Amino acid sequence: MAASTNSLISMQSRPGMAASRICSLKPVSVSNQGRSFLSFGFRSMPARSLRVSCAAKPETVEKVCEIVKKQLALAEGTPVNGESKFTTLGADSLDTVEIVMGLEEAFGISVEEESAQSIATVQDAADLIEKLVEKKD
Amino acid sequence: MASAAISRGEVLHLYRSLLRTARQFCDYNIREYTKRRTIDAFRQNQNLTDSAAISAAYSDGKSQLDVAKRQAIVYSLYAPTIKSVMEA
Repeated sequence: MAASTNSLISMQSRPGMAASRICSLKPVSVSNQGRSFLSFGFRSMPARSLRVSCAAKPETVEKVCEIVKKQLALAEGTPVNGESKFTTLGADSLDTVEIVMGLEEAFGISVEEESAQSIATVQDAADLIEKLVEKKD
Repeated sequence: MASAAISRGEVLHLYRSLLRTARQFCDYNIREYTKRRTIDAFRQNQNLTDSAAISAAYSDGKSQLDVAKRQAIVYSLYAPTIKSVMEA
């Protein structure tokens, strides 16, 4: 009687961990040394590639990009991703205030003065939003 | 008010306060008007260089902010029960 215990050495990582690993891989592999870390070794990720400390979820970044594009009335094909700075996209300080207001309304959070002034890129905004949403819940 | 020159931070703080106060109105029309008016006014005065003109515009904005805050409270006492058609 062969008790079929297939001890496969498969990539059996828990879905939550996998998701967070994938999420933090996306912004890192783009902005990193140019080598594309396409090999998803779930357990064997080089530690030095984890430069982003608390990467925001991609949906949050996506939503922020949408709001920014609408506010600045950018043409359809303009690439807006996590690393885009507001000033590069043509926003002045008044635009930045309006964008932060729009984000507050969209996510139901309240951003204080000093944090709002330190936002320079889309990624900053998304991280701040994540932190505030977490604190709110 | 012969105070020191108005800094960029103060102007942005005023802008933010006006937009926040605009959000408190229950009436859709007044809310949208306040937002529109502050955006237009600040854009129009964006390139002022003369410090007297800047401080005049700034104190004007501050008095408008006081008016808006007061009116937000007064309007909330008579809040409409039916939402406007324009609101989702």
